[in-house]
Amino acid sequence: MILWEQFDTNEIYILVMLVIVYSALFLSPKKLPRYLTIFFLVWGFTISSLFDFTIGGGLMDFYKVNDSNQYELFDFIMFFLFAPFSYFFVYFYKRLNIHPRRFAFILYIIGWSLLGLATERISTLMKVTDYQKGYHIYYSMVVFLIVQTTTALYYELIKKQERNQ
Amino acid sequence: MGFVIFFFISWLIATILAVIQKKLSLAENTFVFLIILIFNINFSWIVVEELKLITYSKDGFDYTAFLLNRSVMIPLLLVILVNLFQFRKSTMNRIILILVTEAILLCFSILSTYFKITEYTSWNYLYDAIYYLFLQLIAVFSYKLFVRNSQNVVSES
Repeated sequence: MILWEQFDTNEIYILVMLVIVYSALFLSPKKLPRYLTIFFLVWGFTISSLFDFTIGGGLMDFYKVNDSNQYELFDFIMFFLFAPFSYFFVYFYKRLNIHPRRFAFILYIIGWSLLGLATERISTLMKVTDYQKGYHIYYSMVVFLIVQTTTALYYELIKKQERNQ
Repeated sequence: MGFVIFFFISWLIATILAVIQKKLSLAENTFVFLIILIFNINFSWIVVEELKLITYSKDGFDYTAFLLNRSVMIPLLLVILVNLFQFRKSTMNRIILILVTEAILLCFSILSTYFKITEYTSWNYLYDAIYYLFLQLIAVFSYKLFVRNSQNVVSES
């Protein structure tokens, strides 16, 4: 495990993004109960870890995060960047009254998947992510659709269980 | 063969978790699972990929078995442990439960090396035992921490 190979664009970009997303997290009106806020922050952190250490490493190793294939400090810090995205996904899902049986549900997930692709594109430009072994950015659309649909349905399941108690 | 055994164990643990009476709500169960996954994935990566104390098979099926152990078998077993922990109130029963879980986790390690899914180059089962004990404590305390932040505890069966 290393800190970084060179402290340059990618590290600065991660730090700037951290300040932006966590400022938004702390300044936004609280719409979710505290335990759900913690839950979905951990959810985002874990899902990003799972994908990075499964398709982004090991035998598959489809992409390099930051300067090297080694585990760097900023690889770990980056997972904290994904946590608020998961929270805001659920936050706006609740605020916009998205319902799983309405067409808006599909539009909401497609919209967030496109936002995910856009942020990933910026990440590649900032040298945070480098694809290898024939991986292309459009494969990430599959990941975003799976993760965001699961997140939305999981939120619905938790709500349903709360109602039934 | 290793892949089939590990897939069967994953399926068995998931099924057991689905059918047992649970003290924890869906959110609590998932939270424990996520926390264990974070610790286990990071620990596994550092020990295997960074420090090279353990090597894994380059065969696709064996590697999938390694991933199943890391991301499904161990976290789900610990979710079952935390649920059973709430039914057992006496200290002795809880110690027995931890020891049984420890033994099962060590069996996973033994099976993993037996089927050549992993090879211990500078690692041994004692290190595994210490790590698994730590992981069990993390599971129990992460649940307690989450409950403290919950407004209500939901029971599901």
